[in-house]
Amino acid sequence: MELDAFRSALDSWLDENENSLKAPHTGAETLDDEMAHLSRVKRLTYEAGWMRWGWPERVGGLGGSPLLRAYLGEALTARDLVEPGIYSITEVLAPTMIDYAPPELAAVMVPRLLRGDETWCQGFSEPGTGSNLAALSCRAVRTADGWCVTGQKVWTSLAQYADRCILLIRTGGPDSAHKGITALFVDMDDPRIVIRPIVTMHGVAEFSEVFFDDVMVPLDRTLGEEGQGWAVAMDLLPYERSTALWHRAAYLHRRLERLLEAAPPGALDPAAVGEAAQLLYALRARSRRTQHRLAEGERLGPETSIDKVLVATAEQAVFDLVAEGLSADVVGRDDPVSSRWRREYLYSRAATIYGGTAEIQRNIIARRLLDLGADL
Amino acid sequence: MDAAERDLFERTLRGAVTAHTGDALDAALAEVGWTDALALDVPTAVSTLFALQGGAHATSSALDHLLAHALGLQAGATSGVILPPFGQDDPPGRVSGDRLAIAGLGHASLPARDDAVIVVRVDGHEVGVTVPTAQLTLQPVGGVDPTLGLVEVSGDLPASAVGQGAGPLPWASAVDLARLALGHELVGAARTMLDLAVTHARVRVQFGRAIGSFQAVRHRLAETLVAIEAADAALGAAWVDASPTAAAMAKALAGRAARTAARHCQQVLAGIGFTTEHEFHLVLRRVLVLEELFGASRPLTRDLGAELLHSRRLPTPTPL
Repeated sequence: MELDAFRSALDSWLDENENSLKAPHTGAETLDDEMAHLSRVKRLTYEAGWMRWGWPERVGGLGGSPLLRAYLGEALTARDLVEPGIYSITEVLAPTMIDYAPPELAAVMVPRLLRGDETWCQGFSEPGTGSNLAALSCRAVRTADGWCVTGQKVWTSLAQYADRCILLIRTGGPDSAHKGITALFVDMDDPRIVIRPIVTMHGVAEFSEVFFDDVMVPLDRTLGEEGQGWAVAMDLLPYERSTALWHRAAYLHRRLERLLEAAPPGALDPAAVGEAAQLLYALRARSRRTQHRLAEGERLGPETSIDKVLVATAEQAVFDLVAEGLSADVVGRDDPVSSRWRREYLYSRAATIYGGTAEIQRNIIARRLLDLGADL
Repeated sequence: MDAAERDLFERTLRGAVTAHTGDALDAALAEVGWTDALALDVPTAVSTLFALQGGAHATSSALDHLLAHALGLQAGATSGVILPPFGQDDPPGRVSGDRLAIAGLGHASLPARDDAVIVVRVDGHEVGVTVPTAQLTLQPVGGVDPTLGLVEVSGDLPASAVGQGAGPLPWASAVDLARLALGHELVGAARTMLDLAVTHARVRVQFGRAIGSFQAVRHRLAETLVAIEAADAALGAAWVDASPTAAAMAKALAGRAARTAARHCQQVLAGIGFTTEHEFHLVLRRVLVLEELFGASRPLTRDLGAELLHSRRLPTPTPL
């Protein structure tokens, strides 16, 4: 299907079905509620076919350009039907499975993620390994029965809901750096996996500590080859900075527009509003280019760090304006609408931290795009 | 133009802009057939030339040609189109009582031309009036970038001169096109500043290592590239959107990117970049002038914000 045909058909379907897709937004919803709602939206859009477009047929998709996926997420976000952060995890993890999992495994698993039957998480960061991902130490030993995994992960988003985890582990020696890393696809229902959710400052247990104590993982759950985990991670990160960002930009657009409607006269500085609108325009323009490069089959790489810096900058600019224009609501009111603004403002503080800090993105830009040599 | 044609066009223009400036560049552009390209494919002709011109801090009368094209006027060998004064986007001619007041800027070639085309706003629309240059006061602009050779144009003529004017002219769309062209020129200039600073950071050694290995320096340069690529993408989207708001946003982003580049690259280039022995100051000077043509980033941004606060709506986003 072509993008224009997809767009108009999807828009009419959403017009008709908007009520059954709407989130309650009571202000009191928990992450459990949000996750249940997300599964529902994914199931309905999968069953109607929309969620399958843009994915290869060998993983249950209907084929077509990835632009179709980008538009689906944009449309759902622009109508406030999904929260883009938890919705877009699919955009990060499914391509990795398609590229690196044994084909029969991908064929079974990816449809479950698309349909909302399952939640997956991404086990990358560790207590001693935040920005310096190559130093990770959660390790696995190869045995006759498979990989035996021991160690700890942290900041693992949605781990307490996850059925599976794309896990990076050290299979080489302690000093093997990025060469000794392997990626595994791990079932999370193992009793030897212990999950401790962490409550963030915006009041949501969005991520967890995850402990692995001699967890056995079959060898055919290896993504790519042994020792290829760094390549898996490096190929995954640009996905985090492409379609997911297009969805996030649609969300920022909707929230900034809502702020313009809600802010009392005189509460916002015109120069700051103009700058936020321009930043958002530039972000969407940049991300649009990235979507088209992806659709043309280009391999995404370090240039997506520019998209990432732009989304973090735009997000903080928008919510700085929220804190300024709706200060009384953000600071002192507890009704559902004010609570939501407050939660979103607090969450926006993390935009320059998660998914590679603003500083790490600038290091990547300096080394890989400006060719300034290695970081010292 | 298809990809191969664009590539050839880009290489040809790059050669012209690198080798020539001023009248010689105009001659080279005529030989290359830039105005023919403009008639065929405005976005490619404008974005390619102006980015290269900004990068080489070359000068040409391309902006004159572009305005003439946008206004549907004969791009004259003998007449030049007058630009608004610095910091403004209103037409340079204004009728007050029985007088026509003219205030604007002319290209370096204006004094040698017979006529000037002056766009005049009358009763809410614009007409083009051709005035002999001899009837105007032309004053060379030294200013921060004398190499541009701009001329300050002023005049006070009987309002009856407007009666013979051609019109109505699409001044607003000419402003949009000029903003996009200047946006590309600013981005080209910003890229040159970044190239100069990156080259310096790779070879300049202090404390036994290239200064480009220090994070404080690296992050300034990374920040500059982000601003440049953001502006570049916005310009691309503004061609697709073809709206006045998009053109104004793209020009503002380009102006701000060039200022960001100027601040960071000046600092990285340090002492040598502060001297006339280094190329940097020529680019900085050009950027300061380009910012002031057809609206600088700061007022464009403030005006956009005021408009959005009034309408309580964001501009429609560029469709995927």
